[in-house]
Amino acid sequence: MSAKYVLGIDLGTTNCVLAFVGLDSEPPEVRLLEVPQLVAASTVASRTSLPAFLYLATDHETSTGGFDLPWAEDRRYGVGEFARRQGADVPQRTVVAAKSWLCHSRVDRRQPILPAGAPAEVPQVSPVTASQRYLEHLLAAWNARFPETPAAEQIVVLTVPASFDAAARELTREAAIAAGLPADLVLLEEPQAAVYAWLSARGENWRKELSEGDRLLVCDIGGGTTDLTLVDVADEQGELALRRLAVGDHLLVGGDNMDLALAHQVAELFAEQGVKLDAWQSVALWHSCRDAKEILLGADAPQSHRVSVLGRGSKVIGGTVSVDVPRQLVTELLLSGFFPNCALADKPQRSRSSGFREIGLPFEADAAITRHLAAFLTSQGSESGETVSPTHVLFNGGVFKAENLRSHVLHLLDGWSADKSSVGELPGHRDLDYSVARGAAYYGWSKQHGGVRIRGGAARSYYVGIETAGLAIPGAARPLRALCVVPFGMEEGSEVDVPSGEIGLVLGESANFRFFNSAVRHQDQPGDLLPDIDERQLAETDSMETVLAAVDPVAETEAETGAEPEGATEDATNETYVPVKFQSRITELGVFELWCVSTTSDQRWKLEFSIRDQGQNGTER
Amino acid sequence: MRVWLAIQCFFKLLFNSEFSRQVQQLAEGELAATEPGKPLPTTTEKASPQPPPSLRSDAITLLATLQREARFVDIVSEPLDKYSDTEIGAAARDVLRDSGKVLNRLFSLKRVVDAEEGNAIEVPAGYDTGEYRLTGNVSGDLPLAGELMHAGWQATICELPSWTGGQQSAFVIAPAEVEIS
Repeated sequence: MSAKYVLGIDLGTTNCVLAFVGLDSEPPEVRLLEVPQLVAASTVASRTSLPAFLYLATDHETSTGGFDLPWAEDRRYGVGEFARRQGADVPQRTVVAAKSWLCHSRVDRRQPILPAGAPAEVPQVSPVTASQRYLEHLLAAWNARFPETPAAEQIVVLTVPASFDAAARELTREAAIAAGLPADLVLLEEPQAAVYAWLSARGENWRKELSEGDRLLVCDIGGGTTDLTLVDVADEQGELALRRLAVGDHLLVGGDNMDLALAHQVAELFAEQGVKLDAWQSVALWHSCRDAKEILLGADAPQSHRVSVLGRGSKVIGGTVSVDVPRQLVTELLLSGFFPNCALADKPQRSRSSGFREIGLPFEADAAITRHLAAFLTSQGSESGETVSPTHVLFNGGVFKAENLRSHVLHLLDGWSADKSSVGELPGHRDLDYSVARGAAYYGWSKQHGGVRIRGGAARSYYVGIETAGLAIPGAARPLRALCVVPFGMEEGSEVDVPSGEIGLVLGESANFRFFNSAVRHQDQPGDLLPDIDERQLAETDSMETVLAAVDPVAETEAETGAEPEGATEDATNETYVPVKFQSRITELGVFELWCVSTTSDQRWKLEFSIRDQGQNGTER
Repeated sequence: MRVWLAIQCFFKLLFNSEFSRQVQQLAEGELAATEPGKPLPTTTEKASPQPPPSLRSDAITLLATLQREARFVDIVSEPLDKYSDTEIGAAARDVLRDSGKVLNRLFSLKRVVDAEEGNAIEVPAGYDTGEYRLTGNVSGDLPLAGELMHAGWQATICELPSWTGGQQSAFVIAPAEVEIS
């Protein structure tokens, strides 16, 4: 059965959205799926987004059917709005920010580790499973609404942060397939999706609004992460073309951190009045502070805004406490804390001085997004000796509902610009909460209809750690060099044989390679050997491994990697060395594959990410 | 065959109260409506799965939603005499704002007449008395001209949550909350 719709799914840190468009709709009319979800026990209502929270119910709660959905009975968990509420009241049973854990290479993301620090009787789940649950819910909601055209048979575009490395993308795909999404689903980077949403909203006008040589900065600040991307506008045979130039590192700081920081400050204002807030009130305060932030950083902001926290018990008036929050406090706290004025040459501070820590997740040491932005722009310019200055900005994420934050970032960029020219925001309506999902749906549609595409290829270059001098045995403690196996910008649907000396592997044993990536070394070509690992440029991610079973080359495509081959002739104890070289490949769907290819036979072995505990720093529980 | 069935039924009627209730219904001709074994006609074209009929009135569901999201029932149940206007105002500001959000989401409210209050408007001939309420000197032929005193309200949608709980909590607007230490 052929697809009738494109589904664009934004699997966010705090909210998931599904947008869709009919393949034959022209011009494309992208709509949002109303997602039925639990909003309280036994109560189902539809919302345009699904909060990415997973509540693990007690046996009694399950047996009462309070978590049942129109399409599922005896539910042992709940996702969405009710789970988000439960997260505030029953944190030990609620999984939050599973997505941030997906890219945390210091823990085994297939192991049940969430909620972190849950008591023994809570059946923990893995970050992959939690993501799977959110996607399953969106899928079931789709299938309930469109039973004739099940999601598994449609074209699905799923977004990931541009800063997700290959392992995190692989895990996202794994969760999606497990949830029942089609195997040919496409992963799209979120900032690119935001650009597609803008393109779709502007129609052909965008060709007048951008011109050759323009450089677009996508500044996407979500609930828990910040994602930066540069897109160049070039002229290709008389047509304007878009090329993704660079993406930033994964920054674990976002809008929630700002609301929380403000809540801490406001709690102190309450304390000055002699009012001490309990845990429940603190959560309520957090939500009030989000509104306060938008009002006090909005256009024509008042000098102060009254923040109230209602009483917990049924005496709502008697229990209410309130305090005036002056605008200056918000401006100073949020602008100087998260968006301080800084020079283009400034670097994020590395010391762990900031207060935002949660067990396990490596939150940014420096919450100053502007310093990360400056470092991103300078690191992209270092190659040619000049700094990269954007000409336009596309804002995304709910944080930018606050007008003063947008104008502040634009003002900073103006100051950084080489020729002191003015940096403009892209024109048109801002769709800060839904544009990623909408853009993903539009992208799938335009792929079929031949609309404009952002060319990009690999967002990072990738490296395998290699010991030098002759036949090395992986694992032996020798100085490491980094062999480039994927160059920056390597296109989807291409493969490359990596020129290198032969690498000796032992048949029947597992081979494990340390694996690195770089967002800044655009010049490296496959086969380039970096003399050492410079931590400022190379980031280590999950290692890659394979078991070198002697694979029958004919059956190789079907054989599970590492499985015992049929009719294997070599004896594993013989320590047979196999000389191999690397071959890397990025499929049409953007899946990264790295192979060890024997230089003496037709045999080859696919390396897999080893998503395991990386030693002593591992699972914090 | 029937004799054996009659004997079976005799003892079952004596000792099985549920069976005897059903037989009584059968005798009164009511069973057909609730016959459990009969498969419902299935259709794949349903836009959304039809939830089983709820045991709870929509009015309770609306109150529960207003209470859950805006603390509406709390504030109207609280005696006002002992609080100052400032105290009431502080709580009411949040409750009113959140109640408005709920009503707009569930009913997407709009005015019945799209004109500023105080302006002169014309009441169309053949108007619906549910849409317009005429006051003052109501005489003469339609259409009538008059001053718009209140622009009215109407819902453009009506999308209440669906509730699947049991009999025992059908009238519960907000559950009691107990914090386990």
